[in-house]
Amino acid sequence: MTLYLTGEFRDQEQLIAAIRSLRKSGVQPEALDLFSAEPVELPRGVLDRPSRMSLISVLGAAVFGAVATAFIQFTQYNYKLITGGMPTFSFWATGVITYEMTMLGAIVSTFAWFLWESGLMRRRDAGPVPRVQPGSMCLRVHCAAELAGHTTDTMRRNGAVYVA
Amino acid sequence: MATAPELLPYGRIREDLFRPLSGVSGKYILATIIAFVVGAAGLVAWGFQLFRGMGVTGLHRPVFWGFYLVDFVFWIGISHAGTLISAILRLTDAGWRKPVTRAAEAITVFALMIGAMFPIIHLGRAWRFYWLFPYPNSRLLWPNFRSPLLWDVTAIVTYLTGSVIYLYLPLIPDLAQLAEEHKTPWRRTLYRLLSLGWTGSDRQWHALERAMKLMAGIILAVAVSVHTVVAWDFAMTIAPMWHSTIFGPYFVAGAIFSGIAALLLVMSALRKVLRLELYLTRHHFNNLAKLLLMMSLLWFYFTMAENLTVWYGNEPSEMAVFSARTRSVYAPYFWTMVFLNFVVPLVLLGIRRLRGIGTATIASACVVVGMWLERYIIIVPTLTNPRMPAAASSYAPTWVELAITAATFAAMAMLYLIFSKLFPIIAVWEFKPHPQEEE
Repeated sequence: MTLYLTGEFRDQEQLIAAIRSLRKSGVQPEALDLFSAEPVELPRGVLDRPSRMSLISVLGAAVFGAVATAFIQFTQYNYKLITGGMPTFSFWATGVITYEMTMLGAIVSTFAWFLWESGLMRRRDAGPVPRVQPGSMCLRVHCAAELAGHTTDTMRRNGAVYVA
Repeated sequence: MATAPELLPYGRIREDLFRPLSGVSGKYILATIIAFVVGAAGLVAWGFQLFRGMGVTGLHRPVFWGFYLVDFVFWIGISHAGTLISAILRLTDAGWRKPVTRAAEAITVFALMIGAMFPIIHLGRAWRFYWLFPYPNSRLLWPNFRSPLLWDVTAIVTYLTGSVIYLYLPLIPDLAQLAEEHKTPWRRTLYRLLSLGWTGSDRQWHALERAMKLMAGIILAVAVSVHTVVAWDFAMTIAPMWHSTIFGPYFVAGAIFSGIAALLLVMSALRKVLRLELYLTRHHFNNLAKLLLMMSLLWFYFTMAENLTVWYGNEPSEMAVFSARTRSVYAPYFWTMVFLNFVVPLVLLGIRRLRGIGTATIASACVVVGMWLERYIIIVPTLTNPRMPAAASSYAPTWVELAITAATFAAMAMLYLIFSKLFPIIAVWEFKPHPQEEE
């Protein structure tokens, strides 16, 4: 059986110490969630969240750009217009559309990946969401029931105002 | 360095920035009614044009582009206020940007929406606008992707999509807070839907920050390309004084110039109407005013380069346009434009003692008018003086074009009035103090 424990911190250094202690005792980063009313910058290695957003953005751009260019090429050969001796398909003439569609691909894929990565619009996370007061940070730990005592102690020892 | 508003207690910041979302003042109602009446007059004029045909406008051979294209280029230019400025400030991590960015991003979205209407209005048969979309007609003929006009469609669609997302992303945390706190039930529902279940977890903050940084980089590249493409609508023709290699950068510089001016005007209005004097301070106006001054100098440099090369080349068809612009029919507009875009900002913003919120607002108003004139000066004289002198003509707008043009300004005002009542015009969460700072 697993349960969720939430500790409220007022001091960022204490929060960092609590996360480090929990990590040392074997809690995985996936089991930790930090809730705050503003972005909290933690030092590298404390609670890293690796992201593939840049890669997805580049991939989205490449796919949109390639598909758009292929589509334009198809339409221009599908019904050939009189081009006065110029090539039927030319990157010079269609480069702008390729560029804009590439950028559109980057925009759409970035936004889509943001929705996926942030977990918005997904109901996978069934844990309780703490009500965060301005200026405080809540650390939620998903742990086995038998580790609840140890987790509570660790958070209290490191300065949690309360643990529930 | 922290700016003054960041030193205020967070509770006060939240109260000040959420306050405009509740209650409606008499001034607000009056402004909405005026905007609605002017906007409705524009709709009536457009309806009249749809019913009677394009003959009700001042457009005729060879002047096929008049006020509508001037308005199109002008509004696309204004749209550069927001996203571009916001993206630059975000990427450079300029601390003073916080109260400015959302107001700027909203300008982009609304100006683009208005600007994108003009190709449709200009079509005449507006109900056939979907012919621009890439599907084959009954003879299996596809749209011509080589046409710069189709470039416009793709560029604007991309820019509008990006700008809406760029405006929406940093709104999400504020919407989540409003979903919990606002007193009106329908608004709470609206905010809850739009906040997509934001909880403020570190995964969400990380994703938001990454997405914002990426979007800022992408949107910069798109914004520059959009106005370059608009410039190429002209430069890709071989019409006199349009077929120029510097048109792309010239238009981009002009767009940023008019965009900053529009942003300053909007900030000045918001400051008074929403009582945001503590947040939109002299510091913000001063920084943007310096940027406006720099763009004024750059604009003047481009204008000089463009006109001097034509004058020195002395090519007859180009000189006909040049003379029309500087010495005859359009000279009053040209020199007014130079005065408004260069002399006024140089004096009011260049002299440090004169630079302030009031003078920055006056200079911005002058620049907005001056940049509209610039678009007019670029488009109309070339069309009235084509390469065949026998085809030379004149152009005067009719009441229909004037009404529709006025309606666009009213539409901008109305969209902004509605937006500022529904959403906080300054990103509240960006002002939130870190725990140590609060202590």
